[in-house]
Amino acid sequence: MLVGITLLTFVLSHAVPADPVTASLGEQAAADPAVVAAFRHEWGLDRSLPAQYGIYLWNLVHGNFGVSISTRQPVWLDLRQTLPATIELAVVAMSLSVLIGIPLGVLSAVKRDSVLDQLTRVVSLVGTSMPIFWLGLVVLVVFYARLGWAPPPGRLSATLAAPPMITGFLLVDSLLAGRPAVALDALRHLVLPAAVLSTYNLGILARLMRGSTLDVLGEDYVRTARAKGLAEGAVTLRHAARNALIPVITVIGLSFGRLLSGAVIIESVFAWPGLGLYAFRTATSLDFPAIMGVGIVVATVYVLANLLVDVAYALVDPRIQVGR
Amino acid sequence: MRASPLATVAIGVVAIWLAAAAAAPILAPYEPLRQDIVGRLAPPSAAHWLGTDALGRDILSRTLHGARISIPVGLAAVMLAAGLGAVVGGLAGFVGRRVDDVLMRVTDLMLAFPTVILALVITAALGVGIRNAVFAIMVAWWPTYARLVRGLVLAVREREFVQVAYALGASDGRVLWRYVAPNVVSSIVVLATLDVGHAILTFASLSFLGLGPPPEVPEWGSMIAAGRNYLDQWWIATFPGLAILSLTIAFNVVGDSFRDFLDPRLRRL
Repeated sequence: MLVGITLLTFVLSHAVPADPVTASLGEQAAADPAVVAAFRHEWGLDRSLPAQYGIYLWNLVHGNFGVSISTRQPVWLDLRQTLPATIELAVVAMSLSVLIGIPLGVLSAVKRDSVLDQLTRVVSLVGTSMPIFWLGLVVLVVFYARLGWAPPPGRLSATLAAPPMITGFLLVDSLLAGRPAVALDALRHLVLPAAVLSTYNLGILARLMRGSTLDVLGEDYVRTARAKGLAEGAVTLRHAARNALIPVITVIGLSFGRLLSGAVIIESVFAWPGLGLYAFRTATSLDFPAIMGVGIVVATVYVLANLLVDVAYALVDPRIQVGR
Repeated sequence: MRASPLATVAIGVVAIWLAAAAAAPILAPYEPLRQDIVGRLAPPSAAHWLGTDALGRDILSRTLHGARISIPVGLAAVMLAAGLGAVVGGLAGFVGRRVDDVLMRVTDLMLAFPTVILALVITAALGVGIRNAVFAIMVAWWPTYARLVRGLVLAVREREFVQVAYALGASDGRVLWRYVAPNVVSSIVVLATLDVGHAILTFASLSFLGLGPPPEVPEWGSMIAAGRNYLDQWWIATFPGLAILSLTIAFNVVGDSFRDFLDPRLRRL
């Protein structure tokens, strides 16, 4: 799978008419044959394509992602700096969608056709149809420019020094460094982008959970539980919601890919120095080593997220065993 | 087909936008490209209902003209993705064996890749522009259709009427065309309808990132991007955003009702 991703990104980024020489050096320098030849040689662009791919794979298995053409840093270092910012954002966004979307779905299934149910449907419809880059701008206008409640875009206020990088997660690092004020500031910066990023998944999860709970509520074992005289709350939580969660968990895993797509956009709106912004900057300058590094990391995150989902299955449904 | 009140409203909204797109040159009070430096950044008023942007262009006119890009682009991207996906999925499901293995391996690979990052690489490499943005969406989306079609073809192939057709001496091509395809088409159409709103949204996102048409072209995503530098002039970004939101919601509701009507089996998608 990962080898496939390297091949895919490699083919994609090389089977194109655009020329990294012009993209990196500019038109003027690219007109000088000597400069171009030196550039091509320096970055190995004068070798044949299979040879370039071979060299890349060889370096990769030795933990070397190559050097980014645009930042002049090892791609590995760039990724190490940007990935935690995106994971922090994505985890908070996903938690928001799960913690709000799933209870909302269960409640609206239990109180079917109530005001709450109608409201949930509206929330999920609007959430799945929302242009998040626009919503991001709107919340910036309202909460930052008008009300002044939110900090400006970015990960941390300019007046505060970032804590020494240990994990790369600002929330964790600042607490480790014993600076709760920095953690609070980082959290304040995180709220808006994470909330905006969560809208799509919140909509999807609320809607799926509602449907799934409705299905389960019609099952025999729910009727049996009621017949035993269990309180309605216990029936809902222990018998219905738990079983209804199973199909929803699959979707949580699959939606990580979409979350990363959203991260590219949100990071651009909120000047969030994460993987998405890095992907955007490097892709627009045809920085092959960096793009491939991003591709590999993204695919790995996706695979890991779905592995976690498999583990989550086993927690929710004891009939499923991990590693069988 | 009896539509719910919500679906009726949604169909109305789509119809209004289609009409707006068709009649934009007549409806728009100004030329969408006409600049007016003196009247720039004007708030909504009687002369400019939705205000003007940084170059004094009329936002209402530009928003109306934006529909002429977004709607065809959304439809084209989905049709291309569905077409390519149907061919790949059909081949994989019908031919089977090695072909199936290889095609599905490629499909899974593409599915694991986030749409926007893939589109970013493609448009960055091929150059920005509407056509390349559409191409990027197609490349990112066909795998979903390939998966769906392959599954359906595999299921249909085992059905008795297909076996009977073979027993009666029908060729592969005839079976595929006469017996398999009709059973698959409705599901493709349903998924495609559901995707149109999503495609409009994705195109606007790419355009917002600067991967769509050039900035002077009246397109919703790039209009919103232009509003980023003028947070105090809220009207610049607000109205194109509402345009995207209303059209996407409407297409999603229409898609939902269409699915319930045509193919209740897909309700879980």
